[in-house]
Amino acid sequence: MLDFLGKLATPEFFFSIIRISVPIIFATLAAIVVEKAGFANIGLEGLMMFSALSGSLVSYYAGSWFWGLLAALATGVLMSLAMGFFAFRLKTDIILVGIAINMMGSGGTLFLCKVITNLTEGKAMASTTGLITRALCIPNIDIPLIEKIPFLGGIISGHNLLTYLAFLFCILTSVMLYKTPLGLNIRATGENPNAASSVGVSVLKIKYTAIAFSGLMSGFGGAFMSMAYAQGWSQDMVSGRGFIALAAQAMGGGECLGGTLSALVFGFAQALGIKFSAIGLDSNLASPIPYAVTIIGLVIFAVARNNRMKKRHTLAAVSEAKAKK
Amino acid sequence: MTRKRQLRFTVIRSLVAILIALLVATVLIFISAEGKTFMDKLQATGEALKQLLLGPIFRFSKNAGLSFEAKRLLDIFAAMIPIIFTGLSVCVMFSANQFNLGAEGGIMLGAFVAAMVAIYLPLPAGIHPLVAVLLCGTAVSVVMLIPALLKAKLNVSEMVCSLMLNYIIMYVIKFLMNSFLADKSKGQIQSHRFLESANIPAMVNDPLFIGAKLTWGFPLALIAVLLCGLFMYRSRWGYSIRMIGINQEFARYSGMNVGKTIVLSQLIGGFLAGAGGGIEMLGRYETFSWNALPGYGWTGITIAILAGNNPYMVPLAAFFMAYLSKGCDLMATYARVPAQLINIIQGVIFLFFAADRFLSKYRQKLVVKSAEEELARAGALKED
Repeated sequence: MLDFLGKLATPEFFFSIIRISVPIIFATLAAIVVEKAGFANIGLEGLMMFSALSGSLVSYYAGSWFWGLLAALATGVLMSLAMGFFAFRLKTDIILVGIAINMMGSGGTLFLCKVITNLTEGKAMASTTGLITRALCIPNIDIPLIEKIPFLGGIISGHNLLTYLAFLFCILTSVMLYKTPLGLNIRATGENPNAASSVGVSVLKIKYTAIAFSGLMSGFGGAFMSMAYAQGWSQDMVSGRGFIALAAQAMGGGECLGGTLSALVFGFAQALGIKFSAIGLDSNLASPIPYAVTIIGLVIFAVARNNRMKKRHTLAAVSEAKAKK
Repeated sequence: MTRKRQLRFTVIRSLVAILIALLVATVLIFISAEGKTFMDKLQATGEALKQLLLGPIFRFSKNAGLSFEAKRLLDIFAAMIPIIFTGLSVCVMFSANQFNLGAEGGIMLGAFVAAMVAIYLPLPAGIHPLVAVLLCGTAVSVVMLIPALLKAKLNVSEMVCSLMLNYIIMYVIKFLMNSFLADKSKGQIQSHRFLESANIPAMVNDPLFIGAKLTWGFPLALIAVLLCGLFMYRSRWGYSIRMIGINQEFARYSGMNVGKTIVLSQLIGGFLAGAGGGIEMLGRYETFSWNALPGYGWTGITIAILAGNNPYMVPLAAFFMAYLSKGCDLMATYARVPAQLINIIQGVIFLFFAADRFLSKYRQKLVVKSAEEELARAGALKED
């Protein structure tokens, strides 16, 4: 047991936690912003699948990861706007729109992959892993000076470009939500759309902005999956990270910092699972760990929230009683 | 709006949605069609569309043209069995506004439990499948208690919870199969053979239709539809499930036990998904060899949306989905269009069916027309 713990306390393990958490962090930020705007985007999973595919394909055909990344972002934004059209214009339940996008994201991406790459013959499981080389992946960055620090340097330095962007976006999103007029409008729309529209905020525009932002973040997440986490796209590669992000959003209390920390918890669970299977545990028993942790996390969060609410109500009642006296 | 006009609107709206989906499909088929010139591609697209739209029940031959193929129709009926069950399951849960997406894991767990009962619990022939199906329904109900109770007691999102459960169910079953239950004498991971007594007997097993087999699972599915419909529209519980779906706060205010109903809807949904998995497993397979989620749960969601959460419409929607899915398979075989096209068609139809405002202008026109007619009639009465 001690031996196993010793294996965990290495820079590589902490490094892998951060690496694994990145797509979840992006998706969590997406979930946070739409939640603040008053709705839920459960299509993050599908959006990430489409972005991952388009990113890897464009990166292959254009011969540069930069264009791949741009394509992934564009795919995320355009598809999320289409979701917005169905949800806000045609009044489809936003949850159903999300389910539809996830449905298409699972099989539809495989269809597109087969059609575009012509890998149809004899290959049930087409993927773009054969197309993407190291050079077409988004590069890793060694931070000078910091990489020299023992232990810490090994954890912080050498990550993918998108990893640093994820943490940067965590701060930026928080600033956007709380320090800019746009953020104020988003929060107002979420809290009370009628009040927001009465002071001249275009609720529809804000909702479209929020869902486009979630598409942008999913684009980053998808690009990370197919061009950094793995080399190339394969079927169902996002494997529930979009859903885990919804849980991370709830657990983090809908705030960027809390959400990011929750995402790291899930990253930890998954990294732990990988370590477990490395020491001989059946991988089928290690793989469900992050999903189980998600449910447990949701329960803990819900209990804590209920207790807080109860306390607040009691306090309010007590002070009211005092005021009456 | 008069009833006739309402019906006409529903039919036209459905047809337009399907048409749009087929249009999208045609464009995608055209892109993926083989051929150098535009005309070649167009011809290939035509061939593929013929397979998609007519292939599921007709056979094409050079000299005789189209001929009806009973075997293929029976295949479609057989394919309808599991998705009728998941469709019903989703109908009940969505009616209560519970977005529980656990039918996917539910059907896999149901199939697994049925397989275990079929292998390790010897019982007489008639009772064996019955016990197996009841047990797997109950097992899935018990698992669905997790999202249901968490939702009712703690207001935890049943959607996220059930999605996570799907993954957990899949991995745990794979683990059990790998480590304990697999028949080690076989090359691939599969269970031992089911006992003879556990098979759900075939209803149609005519040697004329080679390979065509329809088990008694099909009438069972139709009975489930009837029971589910009676439950939803003729029972007190069904009524409160629907009322909570329409307006939870109002239902609470009028004295309904919201928490209990939320749990109940998901228990029933779980039972239906589990029973469907069991019937599918015992009717169609001899060993358990699933190693991934089968996808019936997602199809079930589409079916529930197409049926407008009305259990009586589920068989129709299931027939439609099974037909399309068969058409896509045939297209993949004969026209080399990847079969996953079904997911895109499914998604597009789904989106338009669920869209409240889709064709709302046309609906408005019909409403105005009805109102005008009524006014005219009232005016005529006054003059008399």
